Amino acid sequence: MISFQASEEQQLIQQSVADFAKSTLAPRVRELEKKRGVPEDIRQGAHEMGLGLMALPETCGGQGLGYVAAALVEEELGAADAGASFGLPGPASFGRAVVELGTEAQASALLSDFAADGGADRFGAVAWSEPSPCKERAGFTTVATRIEGGYALTGKKAFVLHAHVADRFLVFAQVDADKGWDGIGAFVVRKDNAGLLVGGRHDTLGLDAADFGEIQMKDAKVSEEDRLLGGEGGFTQATLRFFAKQAIVVAARAVGVARFAFEIAREHCDTRKAFGKPIGHFQAVAFALSDRHMDVESARWLVWKAAHAWDAKLPEREALLATAQAAAHALDACMRTADDCVGLHGGSGFIRDLIAEKLMRDAKQLALCCPTAEQLDQIAAAIDLGLPLDPALVLPTPETQAIFT
Amino acid sequence: MIDFTLSKKQKEIQEGIRSLGKFVIRPMSLSMDRNKEVPEEFLRNFMRLAKGFRSDDVVDPIEEGVAARERDPNKVSESNRTSAIAAEELAWADAAMLLSVPGPGLGGPPIRATGTREQKERFFGIFKDMHKGPLKWGAYALTEPGAGSDVAGIRTSCRKDGRDWVINGRKCYITNGARASWNVVFATVDPAAGRAGHRAFVVEKGTPGFEVGKIEDKMGLRANETAELVFEDCRVPEENLLGGEAAYVSKEGFMTAMKTFDNTRPLVGAMALGIGRAAFEYARDFVKDNYVLSRPVPRYAAIAERLAKVGRKLEAARSLVYRATYMADAGIPNAKEASMAKAAAGQAAIHACIEAIEICGAHGSLSSEHALLEKWFRDIKVYDIFEGTGNIQRVVISKRLMSGLKAF
Repeated sequence: MISFQASEEQQLIQQSVADFAKSTLAPRVRELEKKRGVPEDIRQGAHEMGLGLMALPETCGGQGLGYVAAALVEEELGAADAGASFGLPGPASFGRAVVELGTEAQASALLSDFAADGGADRFGAVAWSEPSPCKERAGFTTVATRIEGGYALTGKKAFVLHAHVADRFLVFAQVDADKGWDGIGAFVVRKDNAGLLVGGRHDTLGLDAADFGEIQMKDAKVSEEDRLLGGEGGFTQATLRFFAKQAIVVAARAVGVARFAFEIAREHCDTRKAFGKPIGHFQAVAFALSDRHMDVESARWLVWKAAHAWDAKLPEREALLATAQAAAHALDACMRTADDCVGLHGGSGFIRDLIAEKLMRDAKQLALCCPTAEQLDQIAAAIDLGLPLDPALVLPTPETQAIFT
Repeated sequence: MIDFTLSKKQKEIQEGIRSLGKFVIRPMSLSMDRNKEVPEEFLRNFMRLAKGFRSDDVVDPIEEGVAARERDPNKVSESNRTSAIAAEELAWADAAMLLSVPGPGLGGPPIRATGTREQKERFFGIFKDMHKGPLKWGAYALTEPGAGSDVAGIRTSCRKDGRDWVINGRKCYITNGARASWNVVFATVDPAAGRAGHRAFVVEKGTPGFEVGKIEDKMGLRANETAELVFEDCRVPEENLLGGEAAYVSKEGFMTAMKTFDNTRPLVGAMALGIGRAAFEYARDFVKDNYVLSRPVPRYAAIAERLAKVGRKLEAARSLVYRATYMADAGIPNAKEASMAKAAAGQAAIHACIEAIEICGAHGSLSSEHALLEKWFRDIKVYDIFEGTGNIQRVVISKRLMSGLKAF
């Protein structure tokens, strides 16, 4: 039955996260931005609430609440501080990737300690994109060479979330050069690996509270067990599922940013007077707000629908299509809303005294933290047209657009 | 629980209408458009079939509100959601046919909302024996040559004379207005009084002083009748004043009649989505046949992107339609959401029809080659016009976003 009614449990979780976001994150947005990180006390609070573990299965230390619950929570975080929503501790994209690509035993071994003591300082990371695309052949420049008992990884990765704080990375590398995008593999590289070097931190447009940077592998040796072979449907399919779930989380945050931008724009248009009346009483302004309201609401419903498709285990192509549509729409809607929010504020929207300008910067970067709207549209079209999900077509490769992971 | 899957009953209805649409209605679509008529024979058969599609919880309009029928209070009605699903499927097959289906049409909601029990029995009663006798329609006459979106500006006058009301004026763009057994006609006792002066009458076919003017020649939805109605000293008995005098003591009486839009707008949105989806699927199949098999994927990435954008715009609008109908079923006030659904769906579907034509290239605009696509392009525009234009929807939304905004 079509229903927009969250369960009681979901409502309770959403409410407690909304309270946390409003009381703890929102007042300190600029502080986190300046510090370029999330302070210890906030990380501790988030860890105690289990914020980063909600959608992960219980078998690997998660709460098993599913992606609808995650969407509700991530929207609240995004509506308070999108930067913090990326900067909070936990397995983050690493967790989502390991669940899809690893066996249950691997996932459990790699993720269980995030819920334990010290979790407030524990981060996982995914190293996917590279500073520049491979020019000689299809696939990554980072290579994994077979050695006795495992693999040796060599190459550079960029746009890695938590590059400097993570203690474990999932690194994607070329195993079989001749096979192009069909020849890639995923390997767990730990911080104490002698061959791992953490490079510089990116100076980014937005999401300042989150750390994005480069890592480099020089003959980094990993064992056979550290390779994740991909679950159901094979490696490409599992990788695509990982990116789909990543997209749902990022899209839910985008809905949060859009909602916040809409709210402050509405508030401004309600109180700011010109020509003797609130500017929201002029049609050009009110109609723009109406359009953005439609954007925000429809984006939220589509994200819920996509999340529900995975939770309800609908056929995979159906869930992928719903996800691609939802995330592309949410990312676009978020950018439009943040843009209009700055525009409707006029000059003051451009000044850092107000939050509007930050929302616009965050919105733009957010749109690069999962497969981009353009890539998602290609995925949706491939599904609509009944094409096989060729990795070169549907994965966000550095050849098309590098993304933050 | 948050859920976006259809119930078993809804799936059955959707699949039933889909196959009827594909195998029976679509093949007639172009000839209906050319002949400007939906064959009566088909409508009669359709009415018989539709009985089987009826959702269990469709309320008997006469009994509703009188508590004559016991309804299980724990059972949530899904009738608005089910209607939206059915409307989209029928419009996918042929939108003009859907608007021509016999029954009270848009005239139903105001009678249901404001009519007395006697009026409900009298005006809904005539539809009961359609399976034996002639087909019958109801209609809703609000728009005038001088007042469309500005409802408060209607000039059709009414004055009490003895036990009758005398109506003078013109109504235009009335769906099924000429063939209707009765029209719900809005008139004013005093144009200066605004909405407080409005009265709604049920004017029956054949009432002296009531004539049908011209039948409009339209860009799209050509198989559906759009009529002009003329009232010259038309005498209507006082029993036909909708809701009786008591309904107009307060301004709320009239507002009840206007609230019917909250239920009908999402359905009009759903119809727009049906046409939009038809165009999307057409373009998708065109791309499949003309690009996919013969060219490498990167060569048509731009076409694929356009297709995907059409798809997600329709999907976003559909989510707003479902949201508005969900609220209607739950009894939550949804004026803003109804307007959002209608505005977004009209826009998304127009975009779909335009893009579909462009994706098919020059062929797309040739009625000889892609006649259906050309027809949908003509049909869809009015979905951003009737039941409140896109701009009027934004007025409704704006008033609910800004505090203290009564009018622009």
